[in-house]
Amino acid sequence: MTSSKHFSVTVRVWRQAGPAEPGKMVSYRVKDISPDMSFLEMLDILNDELIKKGETPIAFESDCREGICGSCGLVVNGDVHGPDEHSTVCQLHMRRFRDGDVITVEPWRVKAFPVLKDLVVDRSALDRMIAAGGFISVNTGAAPEANSIPVEKDKAEEAMDAAACIGCGACVAACPNGAAMLFTGAKISQLALLPQGGPERSARALNMVAAMDKQGFGNCTNEYECEAVCPKEVKVANIARMNREFLLANLLSKK
Amino acid sequence: MNLTFIKRFITTSIGRKALMAVSGLALGGFMLVHLAENLLLFKGEAAYNAWVDLLLSNPVTPFLEVGLLALFIAHIITGVWVRVEDFINAPRGYEARKWQGGRTIGSATMLYTAAAILGYLAYHLLTFRFVDHSMGFYQMVTAAFRSPVFVTVYIAGAVALALHLSHGMQSAFQTLGVNHPKYTPLIKTGGLLVAVAMTGFALISLYYLLNIDLKAAEAGYQVVVIR
Amino acid sequence: MKLDAQIPAGPIEKKWDAHKFDLKLVNPNNRRKYDVLVVGSGLAGASAAASLGELGYNVKVFTLQDSPRRAHSIAAQGGINAAKNYPNDGDSVWRLFHDTVKGGDYRAREANVYRLAQISNQIIDHCAAIGVPFAREYSGLLSNRSFGGAQLSRTFYARGQTGQQLLLGAYSAMMRQVAAGTVTVMPRREMVDVVVKNGRARGLTVRNLVTGDLEAYSGHAVLLCTGGYANVFYLSTNAASCNVSAAWTAYKKGAGFANPCFTQIHPTCIPRSGEHQSKLTLMSESLRNDGRVWVPKTKGDKRKPGDIPEAERDYFLERRYPAFGNLVPRDIASRAAKTVVDAGYGVGPTGQSVYLDFRDAIKRKGIENIRGEYGNLFDMYYQITDESGYKAPMRIYPAPHYTMGGLWVDYNLMTTIPGLFALGEANFSDHGANRLGASALMQGLADGFFIAPSTVGGYLASAKFEAATTLDHEFADSAKEVQGKMNRLLAIKGKKTPSELHRQLGNVMWNDVGMGRTAESLKKALKKIPEIREEFWQNVAIAGADKDLNQTLEKAMKVADFLEFSELFVRDALERKESCGGHFREESCTAEGEARRDDANFSHAAVWEYQGDSKEALLHKEPLTFEHIKMAERSYK
Repeated sequence: MTSSKHFSVTVRVWRQAGPAEPGKMVSYRVKDISPDMSFLEMLDILNDELIKKGETPIAFESDCREGICGSCGLVVNGDVHGPDEHSTVCQLHMRRFRDGDVITVEPWRVKAFPVLKDLVVDRSALDRMIAAGGFISVNTGAAPEANSIPVEKDKAEEAMDAAACIGCGACVAACPNGAAMLFTGAKISQLALLPQGGPERSARALNMVAAMDKQGFGNCTNEYECEAVCPKEVKVANIARMNREFLLANLLSKK
Repeated sequence: MNLTFIKRFITTSIGRKALMAVSGLALGGFMLVHLAENLLLFKGEAAYNAWVDLLLSNPVTPFLEVGLLALFIAHIITGVWVRVEDFINAPRGYEARKWQGGRTIGSATMLYTAAAILGYLAYHLLTFRFVDHSMGFYQMVTAAFRSPVFVTVYIAGAVALALHLSHGMQSAFQTLGVNHPKYTPLIKTGGLLVAVAMTGFALISLYYLLNIDLKAAEAGYQVVVIR
Repeated sequence: MKLDAQIPAGPIEKKWDAHKFDLKLVNPNNRRKYDVLVVGSGLAGASAAASLGELGYNVKVFTLQDSPRRAHSIAAQGGINAAKNYPNDGDSVWRLFHDTVKGGDYRAREANVYRLAQISNQIIDHCAAIGVPFAREYSGLLSNRSFGGAQLSRTFYARGQTGQQLLLGAYSAMMRQVAAGTVTVMPRREMVDVVVKNGRARGLTVRNLVTGDLEAYSGHAVLLCTGGYANVFYLSTNAASCNVSAAWTAYKKGAGFANPCFTQIHPTCIPRSGEHQSKLTLMSESLRNDGRVWVPKTKGDKRKPGDIPEAERDYFLERRYPAFGNLVPRDIASRAAKTVVDAGYGVGPTGQSVYLDFRDAIKRKGIENIRGEYGNLFDMYYQITDESGYKAPMRIYPAPHYTMGGLWVDYNLMTTIPGLFALGEANFSDHGANRLGASALMQGLADGFFIAPSTVGGYLASAKFEAATTLDHEFADSAKEVQGKMNRLLAIKGKKTPSELHRQLGNVMWNDVGMGRTAESLKKALKKIPEIREEFWQNVAIAGADKDLNQTLEKAMKVADFLEFSELFVRDALERKESCGGHFREESCTAEGEARRDDANFSHAAVWEYQGDSKEALLHKEPLTFEHIKMAERSYK
């Protein structure tokens, strides 16, 4: 526990009543903040005050508040998921701020993730990409004995690194082009690295890339901002693997 | 006949980028060869002109030229297409925005350096390609390199090229799916070396520009040039 | 209410196979004519939707999240048990069955648990096949570890993110069916009522969380895969959206609610730091493999832990349970921590925590090895507390984590409302009074992938369905009732936010109905809860409108249900005058303060039937008989 000194900050928050409404930044003063509070708990306190005043509280998303569900996602002072490296905004604590700070809070501003209200955006485009091929087609009951398919330990570890993606959309929010390459690359990589995913590799790469393009995400210009902000440290090597999978599938598959 | 794969190269984000990467790598290779050609200037008028004559008399050369033009056009079209799409899809409206360390000067200025290179290329073609070559190529080149205006444009062009390639070379490998813990560091270093090599164009022109001063020195001025 | 568990006859090993044979089948061409409504997209919901979709049923999945991948199963860290016996350490279906029944303190149904153990191996096969990146040995074969004090290694894992990886596996299987057209996912939709027509569950009333509209969906079967209710304590390791509302509305429509007082308090959580706290974070109990738990021997000792000499430290778990030491089961470790804290030995700024010390382990194994094994947990601790567990002991305290109680279901996972099924943590079936580590994931996937697809099919094939459409008055009545409730809430315009009232309830639940319960504390809670409920309905403040994205209204709806449910919880705890598993009645303990079961009077599942808001719920008992496992006192001395 750092200190018990309580302090005040000003938060400037994006307020937008609905998808079609214009939005604007609104400032609020939040007092009596403990350094041990999480950033989202600070917003909770602000919201409780707003509710008591009869004002509409700030809509924002979060659920597990331990960095695994991927619900939360805010741009804090220009930092995607806040100033802490490789963490989600729910893991950010107020001890990172000082008395009198002005904190700018914005939603993901991505064309493919339209704002629904205030800081809540619609990330269903990511689900649509998984439906296009982010799976292995084994029906329940049809699986062989698990140890009949050995997986090289290094490959399994690499697949796990890619599978750690929490689908928060930070990579898209941070990308100068609004691209979802890291998300898509991570899923294609995970399943390409495992022998179980082998039979569908070509189709998966072609279909998921096609779906990705359809959702209105940008192109990759290899600037690696995505990797820099990813809370789960998913690497851009996964994008290269997706490129490889796609290009080979395009050249070598019969489709 | 199934031509879907060609369509995919042109219409998908990754296919288009691959075309851009392949054409970019080829153009980078051309630039290295071209730099080597420029270095021939140091071997003297006879050697340089002999090489140019050999090139011009070779029946393959016009085809190579057309190929080169095609590479440029492919690179420009795919590049512009990618950038236009990115412009449309880019996150917009962040009041505060910080880059997190992935971006480099090279990567952030690709579009600007591309425009500069295109301008430089046009100037280059107008001054060297589409002019009267009767004075001889060596004379034409070295005369141009004695013009401060020309050399300024040349230096600006070479710097833009170096910046462009500082991102472009390694980026092309990533786009083509080459990312490996063992080789990627080599590729990145190699790409930077190629980029740095592009400043060679500027240095060569500077050499000739400073040569004028050297001659001026002979005429009575005291100028010390360290070669 | 008639409780018929529908347990098949025959030897326990053959019951499930025999039952699958007895269940009627739906012709493959007819399956698409059946609409199955699945509520929740966690392990149970997503896996059930995937399997039912593969079979060809027309499935709709409702989730209150923005994406089905966010369900709270994702937060499970440790692993999933299976009786594969890969390490050759003597495991078997029989032993997993035995350990689970014993771990649950003999309050689960034998036939269900046996089936769970049987299916455990199929789950691993299936999950490996659909691309779950389980940990591997250098041979490429699957790796196992021991977990939660088990004496053998039967836990499969994917780093510390097993729940995430299994959920994403089930989610991807479900999304494959979305592409195939058999499953439709309806995100940002919260079930607010189950619609019953002519005695059968025939549909749902659902609130669209973006527009606020109430939507009606009709179907032939409804599957509640809606998780547990540990958030009744306000502070728990559960995600904010975890609730009892889905189960509670089912209960009010006639589904029996079983053993609500069976909740699990997890010992290794990061203690709360103040009133602002919105949730508690669990750290994997694997920490107890190397960490030693202690408090100072002097009350209120304010010295830094490093300044307290060895002789003045009380390693209370090692002292009380020399055989198992720091590795005693969760319920026992939690209670022991509570005992020392209540006696005034607690540490930290609030005095509400105990030390978990790695000093000796670091000395023994080296700091690098400790970092390798637990680095992510130490990082997590540092991120939350700003303290380094390498330099000083971490502080931990128990927190509500999992709820064994839930909707009563028969062997087919069907509640007492025909056509209404409950899967995963939402039902009461397999863990008895205490759940062993790495068993929750196993149960969710067993229910969803393997059991429900058979039993739901059996129900659909044997039931005679009358036509039901969303135009029926039952749907209109349901929507009217829900709308009325929302209108009443919005009209209060009081002074306290739903969170504040929830916290008030949580304090009562934690202090009076938490780790230690007495008749007196429970009666106190029974007096306080209606007062808070009264205050809630007089004084709750909700801004905004119902036809909008309104998170405060969502929260208020959940708190309203917790305020009703908690009373049933307490009554159940009061009724069960024995200690068993996570339910500790201080009146029922041995001379040494250990839990004492009362098998003569309480070897049953307590099932509560709703009688109306103004009447007390009616208690039914499903007797539990143990033919294959000898009941004994759990001892970890």
